Amino acid sequence: MNQIIATYNLSKRYGDTYGVKDVNLSVSEGDIYGFLGPNGAGKSTTLKMILGLSRPTSGMVTVFDKEFESNRNFILSQTGSLIESPSYYGHLTGLENMRVVQRLREVPDKNVLEALKIVRLEKHKDKKVSKYSLGMKQRLGIAMALISFPKLLILDEPTNGLDPAGIEEIRELIKSLPERYGMTVLISSHLLSEIEQIATTVGIINNGVMIFQGSIEKLKSKSSPSIMIKTGDNILAHRVLRAKGFSLVRNDDFLVFEGLTDENIAQVNRTLVESNIDVLRILEHKKNLERIFLDITGKESSL
Amino acid sequence: MKIISIELYKLRHKRITLMLILFLLVEIAWTFMATSKSISSNPENATWEMLIAIVASINGLFLPILTAICVSRICDMEHKGDTLKLLLSTSMKRGELYAAKYVSAAILMILVSILQIFSIMIFGIMNNFKESVPLFLFVRLLIGTTLTSLIVIAFQQWISMAVKNQAFSLCLGMIGGFIGMTADLFPAKVRSLFIWSYYTGLSPVTQSYANEKIQFIIRDVSSLIPAMAALIVVGICIYMVGSFQVSRQEI
Repeated sequence: MNQIIATYNLSKRYGDTYGVKDVNLSVSEGDIYGFLGPNGAGKSTTLKMILGLSRPTSGMVTVFDKEFESNRNFILSQTGSLIESPSYYGHLTGLENMRVVQRLREVPDKNVLEALKIVRLEKHKDKKVSKYSLGMKQRLGIAMALISFPKLLILDEPTNGLDPAGIEEIRELIKSLPERYGMTVLISSHLLSEIEQIATTVGIINNGVMIFQGSIEKLKSKSSPSIMIKTGDNILAHRVLRAKGFSLVRNDDFLVFEGLTDENIAQVNRTLVESNIDVLRILEHKKNLERIFLDITGKESSL
Repeated sequence: MKIISIELYKLRHKRITLMLILFLLVEIAWTFMATSKSISSNPENATWEMLIAIVASINGLFLPILTAICVSRICDMEHKGDTLKLLLSTSMKRGELYAAKYVSAAILMILVSILQIFSIMIFGIMNNFKESVPLFLFVRLLIGTTLTSLIVIAFQQWISMAVKNQAFSLCLGMIGGFIGMTADLFPAKVRSLFIWSYYTGLSPVTQSYANEKIQFIIRDVSSLIPAMAALIVVGICIYMVGSFQVSRQEI
């Protein structure tokens, strides 16, 4: 598959600190690439550099296999984007906002109406945008990004401010774009649950550094289950099992084992029974993606 | 042209034309009152020269403020809606946007100056001024006013684009109005440092007090050319520096 976006050691420094450091991001044609990271991780900065809105301190960006700086017009003519909060002219109506972008992009009238229809704003198109709710502004931003039905769509936290039904709707819309219009989508979010359901490829950035990039399956494979066993005497059981060479930790009321095979579990159970320790429960605990994400980013509170 | 037409399209519902006309009406009313008062105290003052000198002087007060408001309204909409990133990601260049805003503001301010010239011509004709309409003086007044406005627009646009809080640019406009109104009281060298002083500085008619009487003197075109040339150079510098600085700002 063709590579649509590639960054090479892309870095952005603010004073002495790096907002983004040596990011090598790779988006293939037809992908829905989920760009994940906690707030302030460097997602928006990276996206801005891809769109030429922010100058990289070092590194290079290619889009459609072309170097950005010398092919800016071509690249941007094939790219729709919504970065951070939606941009709009509050004193103009939704339709007039669309007309501004339509004139800039030189696209026909039918695109305006179709994009408004896709985001379900056609009934509110004659209302001033200053009177729109945050969710409606977000939809308008998406419509503006879609207006030319570009080959590449870059959406930075597009579901911000949407209600659950709106989130679901946008999610379905994004999922349908590669098939319906042949688009490649790069979508950023700090919510894994959101990306998990639509992305084919995932990149995780934390503190400006890319810490994971690969298919969603590859990410899920990191979720090897742990086995939790509750016994009548956890202290004794811990000692006995350690003496038998098992690696385990005591966690609240449970003994926790990582990477045990079925045979290992049977052996643990047999050892405990032979030592006259009552086995009360054996549980398999599968990590969900949220847990993996937290483990990878090492952040819990700031998400 | 496309970007300028988009820029003018974006001004819809801003009521900017209405605001400019209302402001201009106030200025014209002020001019007519000042002129009528002068004529009633001395009927010999009913000359086109006197009218042009008064208009230039009142322009010094009103036009810097009007320019500040006009430019601020044109630039502020990009700050309010955070639209720079929207425009720049549709392959528009910052320099093009800056130029389109400048041209839009210039078009509006030139229209204001033309409307003003027509209204004072009508006023003079209605007041039965003895001489025929001195078209050449009016053209010179229009050129001087427009040139000064173009420089003031460049300066105001720089501030309005660079600083989100439009209170700064509006304050600057008010300071400019004060300087423009009182410029003739400063020594010539000091006066020449302030761009707002050229509303009167480039006026084809100047006032002079001799024997406790006001005289209106028509300036030589050649005497104004060095100042005009210097002003154009300063204007280009302000525009270039403003455009460069705004282009370097991070989004």
